[in-house]
Amino acid sequence: MALQLRRDYLNQQVMERLSTLQLHARLPMIGSVSGKHRSPIRGSSLEFAEYRKYVPGDDTRRLDWRAYARNDRYYIKEFEADTNLRMCLVVDTSGSMDFTDNGTGEEAGLSKLDYARRVAGTLAYIAALQGDAVGLYCAGETFHIEIPPKRSATHLSVVLDELGTMEASGETGLADILHETAERIPQRALIIVISDLFIDPQVVRNCFDHLRFRKHDVAVFHLMEQNELDFEFDRPMRFIDMEGGEPILADPTVIGTQYRRAMQMYLENMDEVVRDTEVDYHRIYIHEDYGDVLARFLLGRTPKRHK
Amino acid sequence: MSFLQPLALIALPLMALPIIIHLINQQRHRTIPWAAMMFLMDAKRMSRGMARLRHLLILLMRVLAIGALIFAISRPLSGGWLGSVGLSKPDATLILLDRSASMEMQDLQAGESKRSTALKRLAQLLEQGDYGTHLLLIDSANGQMQEVDSPNALLNLPTTGASATSANIPTMLETALAYLKANESGRAEIWICSDLNENDWDIHSGRWNAIREAFAQLEGVHHFLLAYTDPPSSNLSVRVENVQRWKRGNDAELILDVLVRRDGSSGDTRRVPIEFEVNNVQSVVEMELDTLGAVLQGHRIPIDAKLSSGWGSVSLPGDANPLDNRFFFVFSEPPVRKSVVVSDDKRIGEAFHRALATPMDARLQHHTDVIPVPRVAEIDWENTGLLIWQAALPSGLVAEQIEHFVNSGRVVIFFPPVGALMQNAGEQGWEPHALRWGDWQATEGNEVTKVGWWRGDADLLAHVASGDALPLNGLRTYRYRTLEGTGTQLARFDDDAPLLTRVPTDHGAIYFCSTLPTAQFSSLERDGIVFYIMLQRALTEGCLTLAAAAQRDAGLGVLADREQWELVAPAENTFSLSQRELHAGVHREGEYWVAINRSRAEDSAKASPVETVDALFDGLSYRRIDVDVGDTSALASELWRIFLIAMALALILEAVLSLPSRKTEATALIDPATADGSTK
Repeated sequence: MALQLRRDYLNQQVMERLSTLQLHARLPMIGSVSGKHRSPIRGSSLEFAEYRKYVPGDDTRRLDWRAYARNDRYYIKEFEADTNLRMCLVVDTSGSMDFTDNGTGEEAGLSKLDYARRVAGTLAYIAALQGDAVGLYCAGETFHIEIPPKRSATHLSVVLDELGTMEASGETGLADILHETAERIPQRALIIVISDLFIDPQVVRNCFDHLRFRKHDVAVFHLMEQNELDFEFDRPMRFIDMEGGEPILADPTVIGTQYRRAMQMYLENMDEVVRDTEVDYHRIYIHEDYGDVLARFLLGRTPKRHK
Repeated sequence: MSFLQPLALIALPLMALPIIIHLINQQRHRTIPWAAMMFLMDAKRMSRGMARLRHLLILLMRVLAIGALIFAISRPLSGGWLGSVGLSKPDATLILLDRSASMEMQDLQAGESKRSTALKRLAQLLEQGDYGTHLLLIDSANGQMQEVDSPNALLNLPTTGASATSANIPTMLETALAYLKANESGRAEIWICSDLNENDWDIHSGRWNAIREAFAQLEGVHHFLLAYTDPPSSNLSVRVENVQRWKRGNDAELILDVLVRRDGSSGDTRRVPIEFEVNNVQSVVEMELDTLGAVLQGHRIPIDAKLSSGWGSVSLPGDANPLDNRFFFVFSEPPVRKSVVVSDDKRIGEAFHRALATPMDARLQHHTDVIPVPRVAEIDWENTGLLIWQAALPSGLVAEQIEHFVNSGRVVIFFPPVGALMQNAGEQGWEPHALRWGDWQATEGNEVTKVGWWRGDADLLAHVASGDALPLNGLRTYRYRTLEGTGTQLARFDDDAPLLTRVPTDHGAIYFCSTLPTAQFSSLERDGIVFYIMLQRALTEGCLTLAAAAQRDAGLGVLADREQWELVAPAENTFSLSQRELHAGVHREGEYWVAINRSRAEDSAKASPVETVDALFDGLSYRRIDVDVGDTSALASELWRIFLIAMALALILEAVLSLPSRKTEATALIDPATADGSTK
């Protein structure tokens, strides 16, 4: 599939490097067409699945005559079915996603939303490239987009366009959009959440549990900025809430320790949520190269039986 | 607390620097958009407790460190009592040193007396501090003001050494006051070193009010009292009284009373050896002391009959105060007790003659002349002990002679003239202490004037040795003469008119008796006892100076009546001629002997209550510093080391409190190696 790339947030070199990798689902998917993913339904691929006893009504063409010759019993030979998947990209577009990397690296000046845009766009391209359906859901207070997954190239173009135009503002609506997504997508899908997840870990747990209950494969890119962890300032600061809340005047030399302790507790809780809900969690620092991050992500999802 | 570099304290407001920097820092805040507000709010909630306290402590430590540094630079001196001094240096420092005998009370272990302890500590303090442009010493023995070069010179001056004298603190303060007024000194410090001896302070004196008011008018004068308020240590003092040399047949003997006084002891009885030394012959007598001491009355010491005069001493074993362990005495043959009665009335003169010529002791020789006023020139002033003047108050040359007579230690009793006061034209009569006779007062009919009050504890009308009062209440007075002017009343009538008045004098005594002894005026002669005892006591007192041997209290001018006094004892007395009269010893010039000892009051360790002494300085800038005998530790020591240590401690604490806690955890959180995006 050849695509005309007109989105400046996508890096041609990264995409070319990643095009050699495939996006695999960790769970069997139920797709509409043949694809590269396992299906819970037996199909006609070359991959042998199992034998089962013949029951009237089965297609006699699938009888294993060799087994009948050996045992004098009828067995149906079943094969794995390869299908496509639905990939739903859920991008947090709350105001906090506009937080910028103030570092000195190549990605300096890049906001979390920019990072999320690149990750989502590249994944969308990879998924479309291997014939999977791509959808986009944006979780913001003012910027709300729902693009159901489809397989067409035109659809990918729409998704990429939306990714290019989305803006961060207001409070997060991530929890709502995740619950909504869990309910709206009727069949199994790969849900990729890209967010800074600055919400209560318990709320996150509920969302993930809901998605998992609906048999969705959930992958999370937890975007963080190094300053948010270090919290190293040498003078009092007036912190403006990027999601519209009250500003806070604080002396980081006084509350720095408490801030870091609160952050640590949050991350520990998040780890626990991830462990319990078995989502594919990736804590990303936005100064990292997103190509490396995605390569790590794709390789990590490669089924071991193929090795 | 005082400071050697008080100007450095100007920098004290710098202590607020950390707080100011903190506040400025708060105002210099930067505004940044922030995503992770939920952690910020959690952190603010958590930092309300210990973290905020920790931050406040850090700020406090910084303030303390700067404060301690400034204090260290200002070189503080210890001693809270210096707090009221203020920060400016004095123009003059006056030291009032009590050199009385009681100040020689020692701490037996340290070997330091109250006087030497006070001097050392004061010298050390003044050497450290700034004593101004003038350092002046007023010692109690000399009473004179002396400029001292440096505080350390105080330790070597002869005028700061021990003496057997008594002190007069009010007089010393008056001297200091006179200096301050004369020199119009600005800020001055007055240091009084004293053991608060009741006699030295004379706290009931009316002079204190005047002194206090005068000092209150001076600004910038600070009083410091280095006081010894600890109870007196166990000490014995010895005193000899009534030394008499009598002849018994071909032999002679000394009869004397020895008083041993005991202070501050536990109260058990003990035996003490008393050593007598007369004419280089020593003898020891053991005395049993009770809680107060003991009296050895009428102790006889046989002497060579040819030894008509001489000296001796009584000694105690060494104890806390070495100055009261030896008492010198001198003796000579008793003089003829000569008295002169000047009266124009023969009957009255006879009454005086009978009372004066009859000796109380048969071994004494009495001689009384009765002469009329015109023959006054015949009086042998040198050998007379008592003058009875029953005539108009003298004037001119006679008045001068009488004044000299009194100043040489003799006694004069004025009785009222019978008739009108005759005064030569243009001649002012002598009025000692502005006293003069008024008019005669007479009772009507059979009425008599009784004595309403008399002083029975001392002087001519004191109770007798047995403690019984003289029968003055039986005295009947029919006529008496009023007295104009005021003196010290020794007895007064019911109507408050004086019967016997004493005129205050430095030496000798002058009395005014308002009535006459004959029956026309009173029952003095007829009742006899009061009249006889009163005159005999006056004669005894007046004749004390007639003897060739005299006991005197140490003090300035006690050897002034002779030119060439030669020191006889003690041999170790090496003081200069001018200082000898301030120390115990025996002096001789020809046939005259003088034994100098401490005064009786110095034997008493009774100290004035500190509250009473403090009250004497009410309204003045005053601080009492209680010190112990023998404690020569510095009154004030430099404390800059303590402040430097405090600063270092404050900085260390500040550093410890500022250490980022749980840095390792925070570092782990941000370590990219642990956050590489690996699947959890």
